[in-house]
Amino acid sequence: MILAASMAGGISMQTRAQNARQAPLAIDGPASPVPWVRYAGWPTRDTSKFNSLTRLVSPAPPKAPLKLEKGLTGDPAAGQKLAADRSRGGSCLACHVMGPAGGADLPGNVGPDLSEIGNAGRDEEWLFNYVNDARVYNSDTVMPPWGTHGIFSESEIGDIVAFLKTLKSPAKFKAALDDPMKRPAPIEQRDNLDALINPAMWLIEERAPALWKATGPAGASCASCHSNPVQAFRTWAAAMPRWEPRLNKVLGVEEFVARHAKATTGQSWLMQSEENTALSTYLRYLANGAPMVVDVAGPEAKGAYQRGEALSTRKIGALNFSCADCHGADKSASKWIRGQWLGELRGQLDHFPTWRTSQQSVWDIRKRFQWCQVAIWADDLPPDAPEYGDLELYLAAQNTGQKLSVPGIRH
Amino acid sequence: MAEKPRIRIPKQAAKNEVVEIKTLIAHLMESGQRKDPSGRIVPRKIINRFACSFNGKPVFECELEPAIAANPYLQFSARVEESGVFSFSWTDDDGSVITAEEKITVV
Repeated sequence: MILAASMAGGISMQTRAQNARQAPLAIDGPASPVPWVRYAGWPTRDTSKFNSLTRLVSPAPPKAPLKLEKGLTGDPAAGQKLAADRSRGGSCLACHVMGPAGGADLPGNVGPDLSEIGNAGRDEEWLFNYVNDARVYNSDTVMPPWGTHGIFSESEIGDIVAFLKTLKSPAKFKAALDDPMKRPAPIEQRDNLDALINPAMWLIEERAPALWKATGPAGASCASCHSNPVQAFRTWAAAMPRWEPRLNKVLGVEEFVARHAKATTGQSWLMQSEENTALSTYLRYLANGAPMVVDVAGPEAKGAYQRGEALSTRKIGALNFSCADCHGADKSASKWIRGQWLGELRGQLDHFPTWRTSQQSVWDIRKRFQWCQVAIWADDLPPDAPEYGDLELYLAAQNTGQKLSVPGIRH
Repeated sequence: MAEKPRIRIPKQAAKNEVVEIKTLIAHLMESGQRKDPSGRIVPRKIINRFACSFNGKPVFECELEPAIAANPYLQFSARVEESGVFSFSWTDDDGSVITAEEKITVV
């Protein structure tokens, strides 16, 4: 086994000989900052009482529907307000058309249109329990357990039920685009490889080539061993991530850059640093056009794939969503959550790292994972977490054959 | 802004040809209307003026306003009568001016 950290001088011959099989890696220590601190400006609510990708602590659903001892005395006007309150998990409107709630402004269609639920013959107790914790009626539901997870109080759920009972006529949309059933699926048509359109291309044209030539503390640069990266890396990134026995986890391009640079040039380019993102984007760009093919056949890789698959169906966070709940073709994929389109797993990785026009920055896939988790009120993990490796491998396998087109550009 | 401006313009043109010029500069274009997490207004900092000249003669110039998005992209055209140099300048609210030049040859 090659132990990398002390390979400063004379590494080029040895590295070239072994490049195809074992690139030097700094094995010890993390590849991202410790302790990991969530990005400034991201939500800071405490979600430690709910499942994450590393722990199972969410409260259990009720064993049976709750009995209402006396009739509900909810206020329909208060319920209508709550239904459109974006501070409570994105509002009911995120998934349901609900008559006049929120002015019928860009509701989603993950769940059924409830505009006529008042005619459906559902009693108060059934409606109360469905909002409180829909799992008592439907174990496959993707609906958050609003009551069990403490997002709405009992009296607030009573208000919502009172509002639901008033819903007896189809929603009136101000514009056709407000109706999620008529809203056309978004198609990304911008040329993501044009530097006048995609600012992430500036990393490719200037920043990454400069970093490639930058001599690190160990007296070497990327160019010391890889003098012709355009030729050498035409397909490399399309086979990432991969199982790495020296780390006993799945290794993606970003963590590889951090550990390989440390071992060879001495550079400290931790994951999601500006330098790491520039080089990771560059390495994936160099494999543009290559179809993604990751190894999930070896025994360890297969195990990682299966763990990734299991993690993709684990319900996490206060909103209790799994990856599959939103992005599974048999669940909510190709539907609208509020004004946002939920894409299938296939097509979610080939353009990463990607420029996000809404963020004015480049995000790698691990940062995208982190944001997904924070958005569903779950704890995020450090970018080098092994759980993200398993998940990335599973996601890559779902994208087999997709051709890389990096850097992408998305909202 | 350490990024250099991006300019796309043909290297050559026929005499009197109208050429398309595309320019883009990396800039946050902070509008002066946003608040930071502590509630204070983030001061305005935008590119407030762009100018292009050819062999010293003005070709195109404009003022930019706070509603213009980050990384302002401007596209315009010019008739090229002789070989020469297009000069571009972007003026920042902080008083700094970023400049660039591109040569074109009439063939």
